[in-house]
Amino acid sequence: MELLGYFLDALTPFNLMLALMGVILGTVIGALPGLSATMAVAVLVPFTFTMEPASGLIALGAIYTGAIYGGAFAAILVNTPGTPSAIATTFDGYPMARRGDGGLAITLANLASVFGGLVGAIALLLLAPPLAKVALVFGPPEYFWLAVFGLTLISALSVGNTLKGLVGACLGLMLSMVGVAVVGGDVRYTLDIPAFLGGIDITSALIGLYCVPVILDLVSTRAAHLKVNTDVAKGGMRLREAMGIAWRSKFNVVRSSVIGTVVGILPGAGGSIAGLVSYTEARRSSKYSANFGKGEPDGVIATEAANNATVGGGFIPTLVLGIPGTPPDAIILGALLVQGIKIGPALFNDETQVVYTFIFGLLIATVLMLPTGLLIGRYAYKSVVSFPKSLLVPTVAFMTVVGSFAIHSNIQDTQMMFGLGVMAWVLNRYGFAPSPIVLGLVLGPIAEQGFVQSYLIGNATDNISGMFFGRPISIGIIFAALLTLGYPFFTEWRARKREVQPLTERAMDAKAHPANLQPKSATPDAPRGLDAGAILLAVLFAALGIMAYVATDAMSPMGAVFPATISVLLVVFSIGLVIFVLLRKGNPSDKGDPAASTTRRILLTIIFGLWVFLIPVLGFFVAGLAAFGTMMVLAEHESRPAKTWLIRTITAVAVVAGFWWMMADVLLLRMPMGLFF
Amino acid sequence: MTHAGQNKIWEEQMSIKKTLIATSLALMVAMPALAQSDFPTKTITYIIPFNAGGESDLSARFQQAEWKEHTGEDVIIQYQSGAGGAQAWSQLNSIPGDGYTVMGINLPHTVLQPMEGSVGYKTDELTPVNYFHYTPNAIFVTKDSDYKTLQDLIDYAKENPGAVTLAGSGAKSANNLGQLQFDELAGVKTTYIPFSGTGPSITAVLGSQTTAGFNYATSGTNQGDALRMLAVASEKRLPAFPDVPTFKELGLDIVGGAYRGVAVPDSASEEMRQKISDIVTEINQDPEFIKKMEDGGFVLTDIGYEQMPEFMKKMKAEYTKSAAALGIGN
Repeated sequence: MELLGYFLDALTPFNLMLALMGVILGTVIGALPGLSATMAVAVLVPFTFTMEPASGLIALGAIYTGAIYGGAFAAILVNTPGTPSAIATTFDGYPMARRGDGGLAITLANLASVFGGLVGAIALLLLAPPLAKVALVFGPPEYFWLAVFGLTLISALSVGNTLKGLVGACLGLMLSMVGVAVVGGDVRYTLDIPAFLGGIDITSALIGLYCVPVILDLVSTRAAHLKVNTDVAKGGMRLREAMGIAWRSKFNVVRSSVIGTVVGILPGAGGSIAGLVSYTEARRSSKYSANFGKGEPDGVIATEAANNATVGGGFIPTLVLGIPGTPPDAIILGALLVQGIKIGPALFNDETQVVYTFIFGLLIATVLMLPTGLLIGRYAYKSVVSFPKSLLVPTVAFMTVVGSFAIHSNIQDTQMMFGLGVMAWVLNRYGFAPSPIVLGLVLGPIAEQGFVQSYLIGNATDNISGMFFGRPISIGIIFAALLTLGYPFFTEWRARKREVQPLTERAMDAKAHPANLQPKSATPDAPRGLDAGAILLAVLFAALGIMAYVATDAMSPMGAVFPATISVLLVVFSIGLVIFVLLRKGNPSDKGDPAASTTRRILLTIIFGLWVFLIPVLGFFVAGLAAFGTMMVLAEHESRPAKTWLIRTITAVAVVAGFWWMMADVLLLRMPMGLFF
Repeated sequence: MTHAGQNKIWEEQMSIKKTLIATSLALMVAMPALAQSDFPTKTITYIIPFNAGGESDLSARFQQAEWKEHTGEDVIIQYQSGAGGAQAWSQLNSIPGDGYTVMGINLPHTVLQPMEGSVGYKTDELTPVNYFHYTPNAIFVTKDSDYKTLQDLIDYAKENPGAVTLAGSGAKSANNLGQLQFDELAGVKTTYIPFSGTGPSITAVLGSQTTAGFNYATSGTNQGDALRMLAVASEKRLPAFPDVPTFKELGLDIVGGAYRGVAVPDSASEEMRQKISDIVTEINQDPEFIKKMEDGGFVLTDIGYEQMPEFMKKMKAEYTKSAAALGIGN
């Protein structure tokens, strides 16, 4: 059989070594938030010029798939998705880690990633040409509805706080419009500051919105970052247990992998949406849907299976149509062209050896991810758990700075990351969770472009309603979105009919995994105080919405339609929220841990702020070292002997110097010099 | 062919080229411009103001593959994307002008962006030293489209004003400018549908979401015979597509697309500007480079440092006129 021959080609010791090195390097780079697969692949391209095309491709593919899996570590252990594809991993992965199940979450992520990766790669191997048609039947209306479908997840993520979730989503959508609009070309909401022209970078926003609040909470308490499971049997990676869970969730694993492969085929949008879509589906179809968002293993499984399946899925349009599905695909495509290989429809016929050796290489790399991923995951988990807070706080803070800077070698992204992070902490304090904002930010551009393009095409062909509501795939997606929205209400209605307390309601009050929760006691709640902070913020957002609406006056009709709609919605939801809170309805704001030290939190914010704004003046290394040292002292709640401090200082220098070297000399980033370096 | 065989041939080519370079270097040293051969003595950094994977990246990668042969030193490519390139260009002049850091530069971007408002730089503050190629605009339809020739499309557009939809990359971009020019010269009205890049817009064309696409000719290579190119906006027919007529042949005077070049910080000396320009020109004459670029649908130009003032004057006049049609700069 011909395919077997290609399989043997991929199995040469050199190719195996490349695949192994690629997976290891990719996992490590992917684990550091902000250092993305794109960056790793771009750096390695010149090295592949001198290799055989297939070997070069195997190395690049292995790094790519490793980096996507590595993204799960940061999402689970420090609540920071390094790429949009890992957003939904944080929803359940981080709560799992908090309660002492971090090792289990990482092992589950590994198993799901390997399975998803294999499904994607096998689809690429056997079904690529027919599946490529998926990319072609998805037109602007389908992208629009797919983004809307993703946004319906907000209703699920903000149970009991739906209005706050909707306000958050509108804020995220407004943030996504900052900069030069793709459709219409208007310059929107930049406040005349050139730094805003490029818009808000999604990765730095993710890092800021999710990770900075974690750091601020980390410094203020004595409690350990992650609970360590004292039960010896539950302290490690719990492979056997994870396999049991994965086996019980086999339908979820398979469904999520298939969703990941198919959605991953969509150029541009696939990678970020696939994880969200499969998470939504897993939640809807689960018996324990109310547990999602509070540490449900199925949530981690769904996202990780889906996002690794997008690797194979994304290569389908890349290799069959010559249209890169994701940014790393685009770079790999470029590498092929430099090698003199013609890509596009003829590739599968003319260069079969290269193509199939590559696909088998990708499969081998995915399998290698199982042992290496578990090993690296074990190490990552152990270091995060055993690191003293005094080192963990500055290290994580340093990683946020490195990650947000590395994307575009732009310090303004880092400053934006910090600003959004502080904002997220304040908003979260008053019940506005970061995830709806993030969903708005990620899905906003896809929804807007899809909407305006559909409108333009519909207008030109005199068929606007047919464009939006008359296409079969669109109707299917609309139906799925309605199902997701309506399903929780249906289960609640059914539960009430049976006169049991609906799980959603129990989950609302839960701080921990609701499976272990006792039903609410019969005694009525104490009267609630007025949630003044939420009212103040809602009034502020309403004002913001009005200003945003006024500003649409100067825009072209094409560029104005979306901001106008969203700003009106923002005003409506905000006013609704004010009324809601005045009527003492909904969940009150979380008052936070009373033992938390506000002084340390404020000091940390000041140091962090000084740091990101002094980098251009002092240079990256010097500013980083100074901030690291100060944060180290600030995060220590006990008095320690001099020897401990000496060891920590050495660690600090090593961490800062190590990252500096990696960024400047390995990833070849442009580092800000300033007065020193 | 075996790997070893390829290597051998490659080495032979290398040695021939090395001899050529050595000769030309010797000639240069003999010339009055002293210290010519002292540059470069270390790796040069080449900043691309866009994401990896686009046409700017690809053409720089083609240059990178030949760079060492011609200069004796490596070049590394860094990406600094953001605001359609403006983020990098606004920082160009703060880079040291020693010639070891250069930046990719694009037209019409660097003329149109500053006209639209404050983008952190002005067109005349940038110092392009060599525009080495352009990707001509081209009109694409799918292979089973009813429109066999450009005239078919024009006829349909004349009967149904506004009904022809053309997918392109970005608003107020080279594609958008070309479409407006097409409308004006052909006397038709088409609807331009902006997408977030070449990839998504070509996908829309392939999926028949729009009537046709106004894209770069480079897409003709990647998509092979799945697409039919109706006309290309170059002076002459492209070697990679000998059967595709130019707009000029069809009576429409449309030549253009996106031009790409290399710029240096304004602190770079006149001598340094000339040297960088010479390196780019030399690589532009490398047969291997020419082949890869032409196969890809790129059109090589040779606008060196001496021709730059004249070229920029011409292009600025052209774009200012088009900008008025786009509603920019008023």
